[in-house]
Amino acid sequence: MRKNIAPKSRGVRRSPHWPLHVALIVVSALMLMPFYWVLKTSLTGENIFVYPPSVLPKDPHPFYYVDVWYFIPFARYLANSLIVSALAIAANVVFNAMAAYALTKNFKGRGLMMTLLLSCMMIPFQTTIVPAYLITGQLGLLNSYLGLALPTFSTIVCIFVYKASFDAVPRSLIDAARIDGLSELQVIMKIMMPLSTAAVATNVILSFIWSWNSFLWPLIVVREPQMQTLPLGLSRFLTYHENTTGALYAFCIMVLLPGIAIFLLAQKEFIRGLTSGATKG
Amino acid sequence: MTSSFPRNTLTGAGSTVPVRRGAAGSKQRRELTLIWAFLLPSLLVFFLYRILPLAWNVILSFQQFSLFGESKWIGFVHYRDMLEDEVFWTSLWNTLIYIASAPIGILLALAISLMVNIEIRGRNLYRTIVFLSYPLMTVAVGIIWRWMYDEKVGLFNFILRYLGVIDKPLPFLQSFEWALPSILLANVWQILGFYMIILLAGLQAIPQNLYEAASIDGASPRQQFIRITLPLLRPSIFLAFVIGIMTSFTSFDLVYVMTQGGPSHSSELLVTYIYKAAFELSRIDYAAALTVVQFVLLVVLTWVGNRLSGGDAGARETG
Repeated sequence: MRKNIAPKSRGVRRSPHWPLHVALIVVSALMLMPFYWVLKTSLTGENIFVYPPSVLPKDPHPFYYVDVWYFIPFARYLANSLIVSALAIAANVVFNAMAAYALTKNFKGRGLMMTLLLSCMMIPFQTTIVPAYLITGQLGLLNSYLGLALPTFSTIVCIFVYKASFDAVPRSLIDAARIDGLSELQVIMKIMMPLSTAAVATNVILSFIWSWNSFLWPLIVVREPQMQTLPLGLSRFLTYHENTTGALYAFCIMVLLPGIAIFLLAQKEFIRGLTSGATKG
Repeated sequence: MTSSFPRNTLTGAGSTVPVRRGAAGSKQRRELTLIWAFLLPSLLVFFLYRILPLAWNVILSFQQFSLFGESKWIGFVHYRDMLEDEVFWTSLWNTLIYIASAPIGILLALAISLMVNIEIRGRNLYRTIVFLSYPLMTVAVGIIWRWMYDEKVGLFNFILRYLGVIDKPLPFLQSFEWALPSILLANVWQILGFYMIILLAGLQAIPQNLYEAASIDGASPRQQFIRITLPLLRPSIFLAFVIGIMTSFTSFDLVYVMTQGGPSHSSELLVTYIYKAAFELSRIDYAAALTVVQFVLLVVLTWVGNRLSGGDAGARETG
């Protein structure tokens, strides 16, 4: 009896929660359905000539995951993806921090810079592909890791993530460090970055996810099979082995797992990065 | 900012109070050089891959491009070609239809975010599940959804046949009417969580005491929603809308993987047509002209959206 009285006394207007849970469970089930359907296929395969398809996995086995290693140079794609992502992450963490630190200072042209950056945000990468391809060709960077990563070396959203965090560091601390003889670069490395670990994490995660998932740019820049990244490998796999049902979806799951894992581990930092633009510039 | 102790900043590094002329002057010059040196790498990237391409697109669109010889100026020829290019009109129309994924997704996300904003057990789990599809590789999402739409053993056909809605399997991605809406649904599925996050941030920024005051005054939950929640959420809704427009305009990966724009351009978007023109048909200059049209359309649409939303609350803050 006491259990029933407690919630009522707290809020008279409160309606019961179970319809809400029912609605949210339905939503969750709909959102998770595609994952389930593909996971099932990756474990059991599917005979496309038999109807109806099995709803529950029958005799699941991991062999399609093994097949992926033999059908395509998975390790090569993985290495390429990791190298490009590592380049993008390193560049973003350093360059964005430098730019953000500069923007915390008062200097002539700062307002103009901010306007420039905010307008650059309105230029989607997809509207730059044709000249970007020509420019990369001029630089001699087609079919190279640097060419793949260069356009993502600095990201405006991530600069603002850093800036918000740097703005919160007390001025007196920086001045004290300067008096102690630290150079500006050392101030960034030894004072700003350690005090902004959350912003660093956001930078790492966002630049990893963007670079890992990137498809259009590698599709344009890469012509040699050895330079292909995972998304390219996946789309190639689709065109060549469309009917090898199990392995294709096993490949999908393998490619999705790192992204999902990192997202689940660092959900807070990821979401902070996405909403920082929404709450304050 | 420690504005209460301005005198502590003896060295004048970054402080707005110049200590002494002369020595401080060269110091300030040095600092200014340093500031621009810090900005340089990022600026270089943005110049090379945002600003220069934007300008070069416009130049290319008036030229006959040649990879090895001189490019020739040919005026508005590409734009005139475009008027007679049926694929261009189809892809333009499809892009405008495809934008509908933004309002649809935002409406759904609004309902979901209102639900997960209430303090119930497990709401973080619900949020995570809804958001889970957003950070995924879009190529993989496209392949997953192709499988869902499969004519023989896809989940959609299975459910619809099981329920007796259809008696023949529907080839969603191979049909003229269904290809584009099918991709649109996949797009909504992927971006729903992102809208939810933006709207949740907006909901959490609304002061709770407004609701308390309103309920003391006898406002019903519905009135509270219309009079408090919606108006205060407007900047967030607009922000989601602008980002939604931008993502639908640039939704290359999904279309490329799911249908390649087919069957016979019935799911072609401007962005996929631009890619095909440039890199499959080798018409770099024509692709640039198409991009100019696409970009102008994008700017106009976001500007109109901004006007309609009644202010520039979110205009400066798009990701």
